[in-house]
Amino acid sequence: MKRYIVMVLGVQLLLGAGMVPGAPSSLVAFTPQIRSLIASGDPARGKDKAAGCVSCHGAQGIAENAAFPSLAGQRADYLYKQLRDYKDEKRVNPLMAAFAQPLNEEDMADIAAWYASQPLPPAKPADDDLGAATTLVRRGDGKRLIPACAACHAANGRGQAVAVPALAGQNAAHLGQTLQAYKRGTRANDVYSVMRNIARALSGEEIAQLAKYYESLGE
Amino acid sequence: MIHIDPWEKTWVYIVGLLIVVMLGSILYTAFANSIHPPSNVETIDSASLHLSKEFAEDNLGVKTRADGSVTVTMVAARYGFYPQRIEVPANTPIRFRIASLDVVHGLHIPETNLATMVIPGFVSEVNTTIPKPGEYPLFCNEYCGLGHHYMWSRVTVTPDTTTN
Repeated sequence: MKRYIVMVLGVQLLLGAGMVPGAPSSLVAFTPQIRSLIASGDPARGKDKAAGCVSCHGAQGIAENAAFPSLAGQRADYLYKQLRDYKDEKRVNPLMAAFAQPLNEEDMADIAAWYASQPLPPAKPADDDLGAATTLVRRGDGKRLIPACAACHAANGRGQAVAVPALAGQNAAHLGQTLQAYKRGTRANDVYSVMRNIARALSGEEIAQLAKYYESLGE
Repeated sequence: MIHIDPWEKTWVYIVGLLIVVMLGSILYTAFANSIHPPSNVETIDSASLHLSKEFAEDNLGVKTRADGSVTVTMVAARYGFYPQRIEVPANTPIRFRIASLDVVHGLHIPETNLATMVIPGFVSEVNTTIPKPGEYPLFCNEYCGLGHHYMWSRVTVTPDTTTN
């Protein structure tokens, strides 16, 4: 009986975190059809459809509250994937799920195109010592199986295909929370645990430094 | 009029002949011995790899079959092998089945005969046994991008306990 209760609780915990055993961490597959759908997104239509996003993400996609992500200059493929993952409840966030639920595929492509067409947020110079973060970004740490951040997110922090997000100019508070969520496993929409593996190997201090490092890039 | 030295001309002919002989012998042996890529030819959609049954995230890793042999299901993606660490028994037939999520990767375990290319769109299959227990690195030996040199992982080969 005790075992049964533990099992039920365990399953519910997993469900709550969007990690149903056996379920893929994202339903998005970047097939040629999906890629051309994303490429067909129209920024002008996207701007209108993103009217409801303004209060948190800002009129031009630059969030006033640092806990929310800035979306300006973000890659369209990444934005599309996040909207789909919110809608599919693969990235668990009740607030964003409510916004993503009424959107169809075309709406998502348009909104993604709108934010992608905006310039990145301005760089916020950091006065802290970011030595450890700089080493991780440029060289990673082979012993801990951490690739250099720049290998995927690019040396200028603008990300790359497919769906590797731009980090340059991102709010440090949001970026830090995101890495912590990957580390704890509460964010789990990274296919094959690519980011969860890396975040688990990072210390809290390294996460804080990396977040500041990327905030200090930007436009 | 371009001046060509008689010696230059001779060497151009010699080099040309050498190229023809070398290419000819490669083609002859390839056809005569029917040499072809070593792995089986089996296609898979790399873009939706994580939505397939075999390469679904929770189906990766080491599985022991009824006859005691072992199947290792792995994904190679920029920049790592998933799962990151595996443990297999020594002196046991191992079947590696690997697919790429993105670009061409390689999979190589030094001091063993395990080496294969992992080509997007195909499943690479290699059958082998590893005789010596120990810790082995497993790394990518096909340049796959800026993070290529970070793409490695660990294989623990445990002593075989079934044949004592």
